[in-house]
Amino acid sequence: MSNTNNPPPVPPYTGPGSPQDVPPVPGSSPIDPNTLPEPIRDELLAPDPVAIDTSAEELKDGLNRCPKCGSTEIRQKPGSDLLICLYCRNEWHGTRVEEEFGLGEGIDQLKGTIIASGARDIAADVASLMSFKCTGCGAEVTVNTESTMTARCHWCRHVFGVNEQVANGAVPDAVLPFHIKKEDAVARIRQFVDKRRLFALKEFKEQFTPENVTGVYLPYMIVDGNASADVAGKGEIKTREYTRGSGDKKETYYDADVYQVERHVDFTVDDLPLESSAERGNLDTRTNTNNIINTILPFDTKNAVKWNASFLAGYSSEKRNQDVEHLRPRLEDQLLSIARAQVEQSVSRYGRGVRWEQEALNVHGTRWVSMYLPVWLYSYQQPGSNGGLLHYIAVNGRTGETMGSVPVQQWKLLMTAITVGTFLEGIALWILGSTS
Amino acid sequence: MSDDGGLWLLAMGPAGATGLYWFLYRYYRNTDKSHAFEHETAVEAKPVTGSEHKVDEVKGTKETRIRGDNVSAYRKRVQRIRGDTS
Repeated sequence: MSNTNNPPPVPPYTGPGSPQDVPPVPGSSPIDPNTLPEPIRDELLAPDPVAIDTSAEELKDGLNRCPKCGSTEIRQKPGSDLLICLYCRNEWHGTRVEEEFGLGEGIDQLKGTIIASGARDIAADVASLMSFKCTGCGAEVTVNTESTMTARCHWCRHVFGVNEQVANGAVPDAVLPFHIKKEDAVARIRQFVDKRRLFALKEFKEQFTPENVTGVYLPYMIVDGNASADVAGKGEIKTREYTRGSGDKKETYYDADVYQVERHVDFTVDDLPLESSAERGNLDTRTNTNNIINTILPFDTKNAVKWNASFLAGYSSEKRNQDVEHLRPRLEDQLLSIARAQVEQSVSRYGRGVRWEQEALNVHGTRWVSMYLPVWLYSYQQPGSNGGLLHYIAVNGRTGETMGSVPVQQWKLLMTAITVGTFLEGIALWILGSTS
Repeated sequence: MSDDGGLWLLAMGPAGATGLYWFLYRYYRNTDKSHAFEHETAVEAKPVTGSEHKVDEVKGTKETRIRGDNVSAYRKRVQRIRGDTS
């Protein structure tokens, strides 16, 4: 991320609450509220904003039943948002959360922080292994929520899904089902790599088997925001252009007027996706290739359906491990970037550009919804020092957008670059030789 | 041809080699890619307001752009003013 750069010309504000700082734990207070005067105490102890409750009462026992025949053999119909009962072939549609919880409305009226129930803070003591008592036969069935959300009872063959919103971050508010089928994803990955074979690592090419692509549901926070931003800086307009000197010493000079420029913009953001897993949110390209998965954003999150573990049958999933407060600095950073993009048009008359020196953000309200988004992932582990590097090729499970990191055969690339460089140098020397 | 022109031509080899290396490296590894949320997110903005006034003049500079131009570098953070209410 570019926010680690030292912003010229003023050093960054690094005091408490800056985006570079870890925010305080939610609900914590450096002062005991009971020692404060009554009006302040009342404010501090007042209940937090009510979360939107997205948990489904009818799915609490872990059994997803077909509404027609009651069977638990439920799968997602490939390439659609439909669920299909494998027993009676009944098909039905999941409820879109957009309408169900009114997520697309009133963004400009948002005040404070509204957190959907699946995006609540993760409790540290909740285990990722969950066991269910099968209501069919009474046996204990264990589901490891780190990677899967469904399991089958070994005894009576009932299929279980983790539907209850346990506080370990594994159950989101909504899920966006896969639309791109596996064959399609394989074809896209093959097409992507075919364009990058010449300098690709030999071992990568030898072991390239796109059929090994896996469908993964990755955890995201989908954020709506209502914010204002102010930016201030200097802009320059050219007033005169002239040349001094003659012949080879001729140089161009400019005169310009300098203006103090200030801009204000009120804006709302709809469905901004943020990685809600700390590992996936780390986009340091020296140690990982998570920026590849970041690049295939955005998704058509408007079509997300209410959580039902049956959508995850046959796919793996990753668990959320970041709370709203962990992600807030990242959100503010992105909101500031959006604001800067919004004001760009309004300063186009400054032909010599604008140097923004100060910026301020006022977030009036945000709404957080936790969502599982579908990604086809092909991975290749490149050996090397410090455990090497894991290269991803990712296909957006909805739009099919494909991005990837193909390991490079360094010596081949270097040799080519040096050869071309030598050739160019030869031309340069020839020109110099023929003109002198 | 002047000495300056000659030196510039000599740099062609190393510059070409470095440029080609980085171009191909990025094409394969895509290390410069990320989600362009500034333009790919649904943003509804009210009309931008603001003010400007002339504070200075620059005479006879050789630079074609203002120093530290960051009008398109949206993600480069500058000094953050806190406690602002608009």
